[in-house]
Amino acid sequence: MNRVILSLTVRQLMGRRRTLLLVAFAFLPVLVAIIYRLAGDDSIDPQRFVARAVLDQLAVTAVLPFVALVMGTAALGSDIEDGTAVYLFARPIPRSTIILSKLLPAWIVSAAVTAVSVLLASIIGLWGEPMANLPVAFAVATILGSLLYCAVFLALSIYTGRALIIGLIYVFVWEGLLTNFLPGTRLFSIREYTRAIADVMSSTSAREWQARLDGPEALVLMVVVGVLAVFLAIRRLERWEIGETG
Amino acid sequence: MSKNPEAPNEFASLPADKPGPPMVNRGPIDPNFQPHNEIGLPLPPPLPPAAVEVTNVSRWYGNVVAVNDITFRLDPGITGLLGPNGAGKSTMLHMLAGFLAPSSGTVKVLGETTWKNPGIYAKLGLVPEREAVYGFMPGREFVVQAALLNKLPNPEEAAARAIHRVEMEFAQERPMGGYSKGMKQRIKVAAAIVHEPQVLLLDEPFNGADPRQRLQMMEMFRQMANSGVTIVFSSHILEEVERLAENVLVIVSGRLAASGDFREIRRLMTDRPHTFTVRSNDDRKLAAALVSSPIVFGVELQGGILTVRTEDFAQFTHVAARIAREAGVTIFEFRPTDESLESVFSYLVKK
Repeated sequence: MNRVILSLTVRQLMGRRRTLLLVAFAFLPVLVAIIYRLAGDDSIDPQRFVARAVLDQLAVTAVLPFVALVMGTAALGSDIEDGTAVYLFARPIPRSTIILSKLLPAWIVSAAVTAVSVLLASIIGLWGEPMANLPVAFAVATILGSLLYCAVFLALSIYTGRALIIGLIYVFVWEGLLTNFLPGTRLFSIREYTRAIADVMSSTSAREWQARLDGPEALVLMVVVGVLAVFLAIRRLERWEIGETG
Repeated sequence: MSKNPEAPNEFASLPADKPGPPMVNRGPIDPNFQPHNEIGLPLPPPLPPAAVEVTNVSRWYGNVVAVNDITFRLDPGITGLLGPNGAGKSTMLHMLAGFLAPSSGTVKVLGETTWKNPGIYAKLGLVPEREAVYGFMPGREFVVQAALLNKLPNPEEAAARAIHRVEMEFAQERPMGGYSKGMKQRIKVAAAIVHEPQVLLLDEPFNGADPRQRLQMMEMFRQMANSGVTIVFSSHILEEVERLAENVLVIVSGRLAASGDFREIRRLMTDRPHTFTVRSNDDRKLAAALVSSPIVFGVELQGGILTVRTEDFAQFTHVAARIAREAGVTIFEFRPTDESLESVFSYLVKK
């Protein structure tokens, strides 16, 4: 890790106006939980609603990948895009250090935003009800999930200038569509890993909410995919070529 | 070995059957080792690695050849990489900087390959062409950050020195987003020289600089070159290269069209045939008069346009006026047709 790159990246990520919009978007689950508390129908089971609608469908399916996609592709991708990356690359710093020092801030920012949102939303949604460890389970799962998303999207941003588009296609087509029909695609779905971790850590019954992958299976895949993404990112950065401008 | 036995020669005076003196630490080379070639003559000592050594380097993008089999060697001093836009200057410079892989051949800076070798940036500085900077960051911080990334022992001091060299103290506390093009250029140079690199590469460094800034930067590069730094800069402006570079590499269409001393290249450029187009009240009469002059070796009258070819640019401009006057012809327009850099370059390529 390089302290200079870490602090530079935090400033770059936090200084963007779109980060503010992203934080607002990330707190959508909290908003939904509040609305449910204020106006929700009594016939809806709170655990079922919070686990399925607020945490799974909103936080894990939409907020987590989107926040991590923006952070992961911006951490190094925006430097490459605007041409400032050279100021980091033309320095005697191992490429692995650059990758890790870019990944860590992206992860911390996206994990903090999503985990706080998940904690608040689930505590508000389940206030006065048995929590079934849902807040902590989903917070931990999204923290791990955002690390993986950030690593994959960071690597992607070094391979292509269209990382944001490709990332969106992965999130909405692969994870959002294909995993419903083709069970094999779930093995390469960060969303499914995240859900599996949350499932293992919480104590909901299958009637309320259940993940589609086993916990241990998901954990192993997470490590494999995460290590591979970081390895490929470093490898690609070692062979990084400047774009031709003329 | 030595013709003069009195000469103090430590190698000659050593008895052959005795072991040499105990080894002292004189670096990696054994001082008693004498390399010999096949017929037993001592070889000259190996040359120290050149500051920049490019050997048979080509680079292509798909089917497009950007750099075609270029070989050169540079020593400390200022070298201008001259060529029209799109000639392969940037490609060459980026290969020197380790940000493009040569498709074939080798690129070495200070004896080390630059591709996939980030360690080289301790001794190498790069000023990229793009004017991107961190808009939110004050200039001083940018240079201090560069010093920190190079792990300099005294980053603040090194940054202050570099900023002083580019005369940017007056704006160093302001965010770089508000800098002019020339100021961005100078702060980029400060960041690139903060670690006092032995080799400095600059891609079109004078773009956007006003004449005063240009002079000041040129003076700074001269000082650096005098202290032993190897500076390579690219430019498509002949005049910039002429004023700054002692050594010139002319790149045209990916090939090294000419290299060496600027005056030599300048002579090649001025000795070439020049073409003028002339409009007058009687082109036919003027053509006949002009062709009798010894410095004119061709006239052509086609489609109402008189084209004259001469070998002496300066003399012709004087002679032509006199000839026209004597022939009683009024010249309306008198224009050199091929003074663009591209035509100079294409001439050099044909040579």
